[in-house]
Amino acid sequence: MFEMSIAFRHISSHRRQTLFSVIAVALSVAIIIVYISMINGFMENIIDSTVENQAHITVFPKENEDEIYLYHGLEDYLSQQEGIIAVSSYYKGEAALQYRHNVEGIVLSGIVPENEDRVLNMEKDMVAGELESLVIPGNNIILGSKLAQNLEVDIGDTVTAQVPGSSPTDFKITGIIRTGTPADEISAYGNLRRVQDLYNTGDIITGTGIRISDIYFAETLANTIDRQTDYDAVSWIELNSEILTLINTQQQFGTIFYIMIFAISGFSIANILSMIVMEKVGEIGMLLAMGTTRRSILCIFLLEAGILGMMGVLVGCVIGYIFCLVIVSITIPVPPEMYFGLDHLPLLIAPQNFIIAGVFSMIINLIAGIQPARKASKMDPVEAIHSV
Amino acid sequence: MSDKKKIEIRDLTKIYGDGVEVRALDGVDLDIEKGEFLAIIGPSGSGKSTLLNMIGILDTPTSGTILLDGIDITTASQRQRSKIRNQKLGFIFQYHHLLPDFNAIENVMMPLLINGIKKSKAKKIACEMLEEVGLYDRANHRPNQLSGGQNQRVAIARALANNPDIVIGDEPTGNLDSKSSDIIYDLLRKLNKEHDQTFILVTHDERMAEKTDRIIRLVDGKIVENSKVE
Repeated sequence: MFEMSIAFRHISSHRRQTLFSVIAVALSVAIIIVYISMINGFMENIIDSTVENQAHITVFPKENEDEIYLYHGLEDYLSQQEGIIAVSSYYKGEAALQYRHNVEGIVLSGIVPENEDRVLNMEKDMVAGELESLVIPGNNIILGSKLAQNLEVDIGDTVTAQVPGSSPTDFKITGIIRTGTPADEISAYGNLRRVQDLYNTGDIITGTGIRISDIYFAETLANTIDRQTDYDAVSWIELNSEILTLINTQQQFGTIFYIMIFAISGFSIANILSMIVMEKVGEIGMLLAMGTTRRSILCIFLLEAGILGMMGVLVGCVIGYIFCLVIVSITIPVPPEMYFGLDHLPLLIAPQNFIIAGVFSMIINLIAGIQPARKASKMDPVEAIHSV
Repeated sequence: MSDKKKIEIRDLTKIYGDGVEVRALDGVDLDIEKGEFLAIIGPSGSGKSTLLNMIGILDTPTSGTILLDGIDITTASQRQRSKIRNQKLGFIFQYHHLLPDFNAIENVMMPLLINGIKKSKAKKIACEMLEEVGLYDRANHRPNQLSGGQNQRVAIARALANNPDIVIGDEPTGNLDSKSSDIIYDLLRKLNKEHDQTFILVTHDERMAEKTDRIIRLVDGKIVENSKVE
């Protein structure tokens, strides 16, 4: 294929310009790879922590009601639904916890530990003590790690809980849990029966958490529960719509960012090709005189755009990979309050990031090559030959 | 029509103009027979290069016809024109127009590769052509490593690579000194006799034109002389 050999010779005869174009494309590809890896890492971490630390679906009381009565029937109904792995009912109420001179306002949750563990994998978040300590309806309490830190307490200490309309009650700290979310600062857990007693409510709950097999089926299932029970079933997607909207917006900004970065590298390709076309006017005229079709001329210059782009993409993938490894190895810290509980910049190095950046770049580079290639293919052979 | 007739030009007119009309060719009639070695001469702006570009299908006339082997090439499609240029025509210009990034043999191979001939066969033919123009030993030299005369000889080898019926030369010696011009002219004459190909040369050089078989003199786009050289 003579078009290919001409394209290669044109490029190899412009080594310096080729180098700059390849660097421009490579840097754009590398930047996009790092950016995609960061966004995807961030998104995966957010979704992971959200999905892991929250019920996939939460059933709240009916409209105009604050509690769910006769909840065992609801639990039986939910357990029979396809796709539901675990169900855990809880009672949540506001309380104040005191230890010596430290007082913190908290959300006290009464739970059945084995059920809650099946829904939220609580056991893996326990940093001290045992979740099982809540099995018996005694005065045991598990605190969020940040809450424990603020109260300056540790395992074995006794804190005093004050709930509205009830006398102060002492609880022994039997566990500390760290989920990595803001909930660690305000959450405390006790045995469901004991918490119900504390609030003098009888056997009622304020909600039921559900774990399902396919997290992306949560919305549909929540709607079904909603329709069939009159209870208010809310999926994790709906509960975290703000975060997901933020991520979505971030991705849209990302797309604009990709286009701008790739446009810059595309211009560098267009620039070198325009220069080659201007320099090779006589040569193009002679090729036309020798019987080269206009399509072949177009092909030569598009091949040049493709070769330059491909070289840039390959180099960019290597640089991008190295950048990613460096960022992962140095662990860039970020304030968890601003990053939904994340304490470092997460990076997800996945093959599809490289494919997306590479393919996107190649498309832009080929588009950038169209104008100079068309200009070359439309030349008048007589004018081109006599221009020299 | 005689069997030997290769090119029949009838009432060929080319008008350039963007506001002011310029008749570069004005009703030219001309028959050129196979194997002829003819020169087109005339003052600057007389239309000789325009006529050559028409015969070479590099340009299209405003009116009139050019029959090549009985086929009107003025109405051919872009693809057909490319094919005819590649297979039936060879071009030599004042400036050699060799591809600077390719060496001599690769330049000679180029029209063969455009014609779809395999690389190995193209290389063999190119070697033979370079041998014919006496530059086999310079096969691997790039144009910037060859003299003007040598580059023009490579351009001749390239023009003849596809064994075309017609070789068109637009001032092929215009850029060379008289010694190199004589060498090029002698070479063209030798190839014309050996290959029985039609050579149509545009030249300013009356001395060179006198050495051809026929002289066509153009003035203001019209043929004013069409005479055999004795």
